Amino acid sequence: MKIKSILIANRGEIAIRIIRTAKKMGIRTFVIKTAKEPNAWYLDEADEIIDFSECFDDTPEFLDIERIIYQAKQHGVESIHPGYGFLAENPDFARRCEEEKIVFIGPSHDAIYRMGNKTIAKELAKANNVPLLGGSKGSVPDAEEARKIANQVGYPVILKAAAGGGGRGMRVVEREKDVERMFNLATNEAEKAFNNPDVFIEKFVREPRHIEFQILADKHGNVVHLGERECSVQRKHQKLLEESPSPALDNALRKVMGNAAITIAKSVNYYSAGTVEFLLDDQNNFSFMEMNTRIQVEHPVTEMVTGIDLIEQMIRIAEGEKLPFTQKDIKLNGWAIEWRINAEDVQSGFSPSLGTIEKISWPESEHIRVDTGVRDGSVITPYYDSMIAKLIIHADDREKALQLSSIAIRKFWIKGTKTTLAFCRAVLQNRNFRKGKFNTSFISKELKIHYHQEPDEEMLAAFFAVYDYAREVHEIEDKPLYVEKGKEIAPWVLNKRLR
Amino acid sequence: MAREPKKKEPTKLIALSASNKAFEFRTPLEKKIKYQGKKVDIKLREDPNGFSYIVWKNKKYMLDVIEKNQNHYTIMINGVWHSFTVETPISLKRRRYLEKQGDSSSTVSIEAPMPGKIIDILVEDGDKVKEGEPIIILEAMKMQNEIYSHVSGIVTSIAVKKNDSVMKDDVLIDIQKG
Repeated sequence: MKIKSILIANRGEIAIRIIRTAKKMGIRTFVIKTAKEPNAWYLDEADEIIDFSECFDDTPEFLDIERIIYQAKQHGVESIHPGYGFLAENPDFARRCEEEKIVFIGPSHDAIYRMGNKTIAKELAKANNVPLLGGSKGSVPDAEEARKIANQVGYPVILKAAAGGGGRGMRVVEREKDVERMFNLATNEAEKAFNNPDVFIEKFVREPRHIEFQILADKHGNVVHLGERECSVQRKHQKLLEESPSPALDNALRKVMGNAAITIAKSVNYYSAGTVEFLLDDQNNFSFMEMNTRIQVEHPVTEMVTGIDLIEQMIRIAEGEKLPFTQKDIKLNGWAIEWRINAEDVQSGFSPSLGTIEKISWPESEHIRVDTGVRDGSVITPYYDSMIAKLIIHADDREKALQLSSIAIRKFWIKGTKTTLAFCRAVLQNRNFRKGKFNTSFISKELKIHYHQEPDEEMLAAFFAVYDYAREVHEIEDKPLYVEKGKEIAPWVLNKRLR
Repeated sequence: MAREPKKKEPTKLIALSASNKAFEFRTPLEKKIKYQGKKVDIKLREDPNGFSYIVWKNKKYMLDVIEKNQNHYTIMINGVWHSFTVETPISLKRRRYLEKQGDSSSTVSIEAPMPGKIIDILVEDGDKVKEGEPIIILEAMKMQNEIYSHVSGIVTSIAVKKNDSVMKDDVLIDIQKG
């Protein structure tokens, strides 16, 4: 069956990313308009807009299963792509699609359910001899039980939302006296984020690397992996950049871990694109963490090194096609790195920075790919996550990719909001990062200052402040200083620094 | 529009940074500035997209005024922001004098760093808190954020309650330093 129309139950850059592939395949796209972002870019890119501006209850638009399904049927849309976040890993949504004969572009509801439930996922891994970490058997009923288990496993332990992902509902506990407070924080956050307060406990590996494998599986039992992604640079379990391949893996380890990823996928008869996450300790011992049953934010680095369009494969798999390649056809070509550019103030603890993107521009070249959902005039709202854009660099090797990253980041200009670009610069300055020697403690241990500035920048900023101030004084006196675009503006004299 | 009476132009303006570093600039307008004893070219330009940038020692620096309130400025340069107040020599002198008179208030307000909802308040009126201690849990952008006290002292008032929605810079808690 050929899919002719897709409803994208998502927004922002991933909606635009899916539309791009759909256009290439000649598929008609539908998106959902909300009152929260009535002028968002993704709306202009789609063929048709379904208006959810009117809200009838408190359910956020992209989480309203019945409304989305009803509208898909009303508009005669054949399939739904959930993107990431929102309903992407909600088994009820996938099941309702199946019941209503709408093709869900993703795995089966059963696979989502079993991998989404961390207890079942771990049992499956254990039954298939994939290495695991110690911890609670299933979710923990209360703080007292949490304390008992934590004492048995040994500190530090980590509390994780059973239905979780993306760092929400996760807390590390270092000491017995912190268990209760952290337990309450984690359950609260899990309840808020996933409608399910269940948390479980796991041994916390200090300073591991976070390595994940991209897999693709069809409905005929064929499974391949597309290599790994290195996601160790994280802050509070939120990824800030990703690479493929990882500096930590050689071909032998890649083969073993890739096979473990395939085993996990096969244990739930998985189909579609998926990601198997592992922790890797400093002795190269890996343990299975979880499987994400969706397309991921960082999928572009895999696309760049393999040359495979993951969204296209998801659609073809959903149509029932066989994978057009086998494991031996998959080659990792060069090195790709993705920098997440978030509207966050790195100088104030990465707090969200709302506002309007007045201007955004970046350099273009064969090595640069930018996936973004914003353009000049886009508004950053408090309703959704803070990601503005993903800058993806692809080069022959890691050294070149980092070198090109420095140049591209310096020329990635955003006016109107604070961003994590200065953080990216700080990472690139770090010697151990450049050598590929880093793990999940990189930011807290290695990066003392979360932003990088060059020597004269403060002076130049001072100059600009004085210039702007003086310009206003002059304008009041009918003597505008600003001259036409592109022309030079005669500056003031920097006399001397007082201190 | 009526024109203001022409004031005498200042010959010097000083940008004073948050860490009290002073950068002094002077009229008349020239294309070179004195820097570490040498005259160096400085060019301020605007590109066709509307970005302002400075060319300094053959490098481009993108700049943006991100906040402006009278003489208070926050300037972004290459993704890093800096705060300044722009002063004339006289206003700077006055400011320095006032600073010397000392900080009369020893009560510090902890403000919301971002808009959000109060999930939990971890302290009570009269509690002793240490610098770096979590005092409030604020939900914003789908994350529960612990808000820390940046001073040690005693809680003198709590301006919010559970489930309150707060805006950025709203006062959450007052702490008497000590």
